[in-house]
Amino acid sequence: MTAEASLAHHARPGTPVASWVGRVIVWLGLGYLVLLLPGAIGGEASLDASQAAIYVLIGLSLHILIGYTGQISLGHQAFVGTGSLVAANVVSTGTSHAAEPVHFGLSLVAAAAAAAAAAVVLGAVALRITGLYLALVTLVFGSVAANAIFSISSLNGHEAGVTALRPASLVTDYRFYLFCLLLIVLVMYVDIQLGKSKTGRALAALQENELVAQAFAVNVMKFKLIAFALSGAFAGLAGALYTYRVQSFSDKNFSGTPGFNLALIFVVMVVVGGLGSRAGVVVASAFFGLIDVLLDLAAKHTFMAQYYSDHKQYVSGLIGALLLLQTVILNPGGLGQVVDPVARWLRGGRFSLHGHGPTSGSRAADVRA
Amino acid sequence: MTLAFDPTTGLVSPLVHGLFQGSAYGLLGLGLVLLYKSNRIFNFAQGEFAGVAALVAYLFDTGSKGLPKVPYAVAILLGVAAAVLVALLTERLVVRPMFHRPRVVLLVGTVGVALFLIAVEGLVYQDIAALRPIDQALSIDPIFTRLDRVPVLWSDLAKLIMLLALAAAAFLFFRLSRMGTAILAVSQDATAARAVGISVERTSMLAWGLAGLTGGIAGVLLAVPPFSTTPGIFTGTILTTAFAAAVVGGITSLPGAFVGGVLVGLVQEFASADLPLVPGLGSIRGGGELAVAIVLLGILLVRPKGLLGSET
Repeated sequence: MTAEASLAHHARPGTPVASWVGRVIVWLGLGYLVLLLPGAIGGEASLDASQAAIYVLIGLSLHILIGYTGQISLGHQAFVGTGSLVAANVVSTGTSHAAEPVHFGLSLVAAAAAAAAAAVVLGAVALRITGLYLALVTLVFGSVAANAIFSISSLNGHEAGVTALRPASLVTDYRFYLFCLLLIVLVMYVDIQLGKSKTGRALAALQENELVAQAFAVNVMKFKLIAFALSGAFAGLAGALYTYRVQSFSDKNFSGTPGFNLALIFVVMVVVGGLGSRAGVVVASAFFGLIDVLLDLAAKHTFMAQYYSDHKQYVSGLIGALLLLQTVILNPGGLGQVVDPVARWLRGGRFSLHGHGPTSGSRAADVRA
Repeated sequence: MTLAFDPTTGLVSPLVHGLFQGSAYGLLGLGLVLLYKSNRIFNFAQGEFAGVAALVAYLFDTGSKGLPKVPYAVAILLGVAAAVLVALLTERLVVRPMFHRPRVVLLVGTVGVALFLIAVEGLVYQDIAALRPIDQALSIDPIFTRLDRVPVLWSDLAKLIMLLALAAAAFLFFRLSRMGTAILAVSQDATAARAVGISVERTSMLAWGLAGLTGGIAGVLLAVPPFSTTPGIFTGTILTTAFAAAVVGGITSLPGAFVGGVLVGLVQEFASADLPLVPGLGSIRGGGELAVAIVLLGILLVRPKGLLGSET
């Protein structure tokens, strides 16, 4: 038996037609779930779904930072908040009329740029400080420096919030949700292309071994800053959508204890999703974006309803904590270990839980100390 | 505790408040230093060790949630014991399975522990659990003395004295006792320590138990009015600054936890007191925190091992 034949024998592909029928059914089901279902349910469903979409954007953004630089950021809410603040102030329509499409577009760009600038500042610090100390600096940066900026009263509408209405074309929640999906596609495209480009290979080399990369003339400083800037830009974009989702900016969402909770949720969803697995991060982020809605649904019809509604935030906190703990202790690949094989199969590959994709659990351990 | 500058009390008010606020940071920072010294880990759950102690002590002191009402001193002891138990369980169930993983992953693990404890505290009791301060329990005048009309409370003084005593005791423990030396040996080289007959598992348990003890003591001392103790408040409001204090003082130095805590407390209070020296700083909400962040960054860039630290 030739090597090729032996490989083919081990692969044991199912009948091509049957497996493609399965794929198409799953694709259609996913498409319905993501694209049509929120609109079909109506009510608050589109708003809830756009929250999930925004969390997915944030998850992807944080994943770029952790995945490429191997650094935990405990202050990501600061970038999201910066984007949110800038977008609201650029548009600042008042309560009467919708935003001009041009201003709306401009506010998205400005939000991304401002958050990217903030991230580069933090990245410059990260060039000197690494590991646990950087985690600490991001924590302090997120909860302290951002608080000071968000508390400038001319920027936060004198503590009352800044109103920023959506443009006329996105005025329905469902359309806004579709727009969020569009941005996710855009961000994922950039992310994937980045992985294939020279920059992506340089970043991958840095992730493997900084000294070796440096010996091969990879400019460590430049590429680390690029990763920070890109991550910040995406977070800023998510922040702008955060503003437009509820059509106002409030500094209270991002500062103090709520902001701190957000920062922790962001880290939890990326770790639970699985470092190194884009699909896993997307699924986990969407789950954490929807967790309150899902729990509401689950509790509505049980005898625990009253207890649940009194202790809402702690129930979702408990679930997040348990998911996080089981991931880091038992299952370092995270959700990606399950989601990645499915995603591979959907793209036409062979289904195998012991695949050789980017998540074999090893990259999760590559976060540097 | 942000106070506007009051010309009648001058610099004394921020000085006193900074000193006592700083001892709160020092008390939590002490546990952080203990664990970094012995395990090379940033323990994110340290704030909730304090939170658990405060809650358990409160529940036993008031006899709520169907628990028996016990004397004040017993309630305090039970609270501290609960913190030690939680710390030991954390070591056994979370830290030990991840002993050989990168430290940042361990940090995420302790974040998970903190979130878990916050959730459990909230599910048990989500209202304000303000513990009786020591003066109320002894029914004496809460004010120990007045410095230039600024009252100095017994409950504040207790924090400072306990911080000094704990920092000194822990310092001597690592200097003089065999167990302390064993912990340091494991922290430097676990394999070599094992080779000379030190049980890595037992030293790790010991270090976490001590961290739980200091965290628990911090909890019962800090959870007194006007601090409104709710689930997660220690992690949300004190822990970040306690980390900063520990790093500024030197993350491997126990006296450093005291020095860093008090220094950061003073910086914070002076920066938010809107003194005439730095016009406008006090009017920024969170100006005190901003000043702390600047001090922290400066220390990390210029002297990463901290003021009294011997290594990074």
